Amino acid sequence: MEEIEIVDINIEEEQNMNRVLHLAVDMGETLLKNGGEIFRVEETIEHVCKSFGVNNFDSFILSNGIFVTADENGEQIFAQIKHVPLSATHLGIVTEVNNLSREISAGQVGLSEAFGRMDEIKQMPPKRDYFRTLSAGLGGACFCFLLGGNVWESIITLMIDILLYIIVIFSERHSLSRMIRNIIGGAFITVLAISAGYLGLPFDIARDKIIIGSIMPLIPGMAFVNAIRDIANSDFISGTVRIIDALLVFVYIAIGVGCMLSMYNYILGGLLK
Amino acid sequence: MIASLICSFFGTICFSVLFNVPKKFYIGCGITGSMGWLCYYLLLAVTSSTVATFAGTLLVVLMARILAVWLKCPITIFLVPGIFPLLPGTSVYYTAYHLVTENLSEAAHNGLEALKLAFAIVIAIVFVFSVPRELFQFSYWRKRRLKKQRIED
Repeated sequence: MEEIEIVDINIEEEQNMNRVLHLAVDMGETLLKNGGEIFRVEETIEHVCKSFGVNNFDSFILSNGIFVTADENGEQIFAQIKHVPLSATHLGIVTEVNNLSREISAGQVGLSEAFGRMDEIKQMPPKRDYFRTLSAGLGGACFCFLLGGNVWESIITLMIDILLYIIVIFSERHSLSRMIRNIIGGAFITVLAISAGYLGLPFDIARDKIIIGSIMPLIPGMAFVNAIRDIANSDFISGTVRIIDALLVFVYIAIGVGCMLSMYNYILGGLLK
Repeated sequence: MIASLICSFFGTICFSVLFNVPKKFYIGCGITGSMGWLCYYLLLAVTSSTVATFAGTLLVVLMARILAVWLKCPITIFLVPGIFPLLPGTSVYYTAYHLVTENLSEAAHNGLEALKLAFAIVIAIVFVFSVPRELFQFSYWRKRRLKKQRIED
């Protein structure tokens, strides 16, 4: 009789540990997907596991994958590999998961409540499309002014960036590749900036200032900063992957802008100024 | 100058919207960005753009770390939008432009400039992140003061 009871308890405990590890992997995946750094994911998994009493575990995090195993008394009880594809950044979700992990560490949140909170957090919508479009326009205009443009150039940048972000949101919806999105974005901006010079506006505008301001929403600041921080934390593999991602986006934008400029140059026979 | 300060404030907030930063952190993002820009702008008059970018990034990362500890949130929220005004967009554009117009010496010049600025940002970020985390926590300094008092007693 007694022996059977002990086995029962073991199975229950094992199931409990399994749930803890599932929660930890889920939180790590959500962080990584929405723009968390490698060491934050590592720390979150560690905090969650330790505070629910799972001590023998190993985790290995890459920029697009999570590997977690755990054992109990020399017997393996859990192994999971998660592939995490690159996707859009949502720092609001990162903040919420971070808060949840903080509360779990402090012992304020139980296991099933944490699962409920995670479901809620994953449902958090991004900012509304028109709001993002407007702020991309306004942001581009502000940076155009900062980088030496005048008020008229900033207003033109505002309009170009609003149109640009409509394309970006469209390409996000239809999941076009980043390469196509950035090349088309760069080309689109350049065409509009060049044609703005031919509208016959009653004031002088500099084409380069408009283009510089307009490409700001496309620049991969997030990937760049995260890459540097990963390398600073000696996560070299993930850091290299991310910095190549950032550099390639710069190159794509330059290709888009460069193609249009050289086409214009070619058609007008060296009148480019 | 005041106009460009206001512009950097709102520009940074606009970019934080694109990264879906929660509403309550907008003001912090704006202040981080505009302070970094102000530092860059003031130093540009006396030193080269590389040094100015380095100092500006240093201030941005420092402020981002302090704000992140104070408001208990991931540092990425303040760091990424705050650094945007200092990114070398101008040099990258002129590199592409001079490459297209077959002005290769100018292109190389601007490309190296962009690389220099990028490295200034990298070094500034790594520099501030190598400072231990405890120094940014209020309790550390309080404990230290208490310990000092005890020794003096």
